[in-house]
Amino acid sequence: MSTPARRRLMRDFKRLQEDPPAGVSGAPTDNNIMVWNAVIFGPHDTPFEDGTFKLTIEFTEEYPNKPPTVRFVSKMFHPNVYADGSICLDILQNRWSPTYDVSAILTSIQSLLHDPNPNSPANNEAAQLYRENRREYEKKVAAIVQESWNDDEDDDDEEEGEKS
Amino acid sequence: MAEGALNYDPSKNYDDQTCAQQRDIEKAIADEQPLVSDILSFDELKTEYQDDEIFKLKIDDLKGRYKHMRKTRGDGNCFFRAFGFAYLEQLLNNNTDFPRFKEIASKSKDELVALGFPQFTIEDFHETFMEVIEKVEKKCTNEEFYQLYTDQGISDYFVVYLRLIVSGHLQKEEDFFIHFVEGGRTVKEFCNQEVEPMHKESDHIHITALTAALGVNIRVEYMDRGDTPKCNQHDFPDGSRPSVYLLYRPSHYDILYP
Repeated sequence: MSTPARRRLMRDFKRLQEDPPAGVSGAPTDNNIMVWNAVIFGPHDTPFEDGTFKLTIEFTEEYPNKPPTVRFVSKMFHPNVYADGSICLDILQNRWSPTYDVSAILTSIQSLLHDPNPNSPANNEAAQLYRENRREYEKKVAAIVQESWNDDEDDDDEEEGEKS
Repeated sequence: MAEGALNYDPSKNYDDQTCAQQRDIEKAIADEQPLVSDILSFDELKTEYQDDEIFKLKIDDLKGRYKHMRKTRGDGNCFFRAFGFAYLEQLLNNNTDFPRFKEIASKSKDELVALGFPQFTIEDFHETFMEVIEKVEKKCTNEEFYQLYTDQGISDYFVVYLRLIVSGHLQKEEDFFIHFVEGGRTVKEFCNQEVEPMHKESDHIHITALTAALGVNIRVEYMDRGDTPKCNQHDFPDGSRPSVYLLYRPSHYDILYP
């Protein structure tokens, strides 16, 4: 019998396909339901607009009782994203609730792009620029938005989700 | 390890390290303690307190009033785990309360969804919750029940759903419970931080909400450092006739058998 984590991930995937939230997409990798690839499109009216940011999501057998590990694979410049791409977001750590699913995780990260929390910085430079020099911050973000298109080439079918 | 604490490196992700450490601790506990133990005598409990006269007196007090006990794993879920096991085991042996409980359990999903919980994930937990209850309804053996309830995946799903029931009840009765929430938080914030996440320890407020939501009364025997020779008792709700009996030792709940 399949484990609760695997059964639940199949359901998460089905739901994400049937009822996809705007601006995010995700799917298990070919041979492993415990590792997913995802894409978040930079939200409108933010410096991240038009970016296509790739992420990986790694689940353990304890999902959904424990959060997965989520990392940006695309280069990111954001107050709450570490240099290695991992994300400082309360719901992925101490405020995780088992009622969250993949869809909720991706939309929460999408809103984090919209609303950084400069009080718990994972990237000090980004946090400082965000607070003190918004123009420079936006310039740096614009650069990683450009970069996010470059690594699109070897990727094909994921990108059709529309931005609301 | 020690020098790491002195050299804070802002580019490092300490959350991951903290999580890894947390995982190691949890794994050590999981390897050592079963989710729910076999039946134990109070003399076995006493061996933990060789040099502790006060606790030995209190164990004697319990021994005079209870037959035996089971321990639960100290993973922060012990209250819910102990409650679920004790109550279902009781239904297995005497099903007079079963129809009432099953109706509440079945209806609870729609109530949670009506309160704004996400339907999709609630259904997932509710399904497993009902599967366990239906096993009890079909009169599985005590051994089968023990196997089922100590399967980590199933047991954790059961605990999550009990947590959701508590969260739902607290939010439904927000006007009352807001007076018991500490730290200037809203009831919803309290639920997000202290009720719904696994491994968060339970307090009076959780017990009060669970007994009210399910209509199952609980007596807790408190075994603490106070120098009376007897355990203090508290019934939830006050003055009710208990059907589940739990032992509380500082920050941990186990099961008692009267």
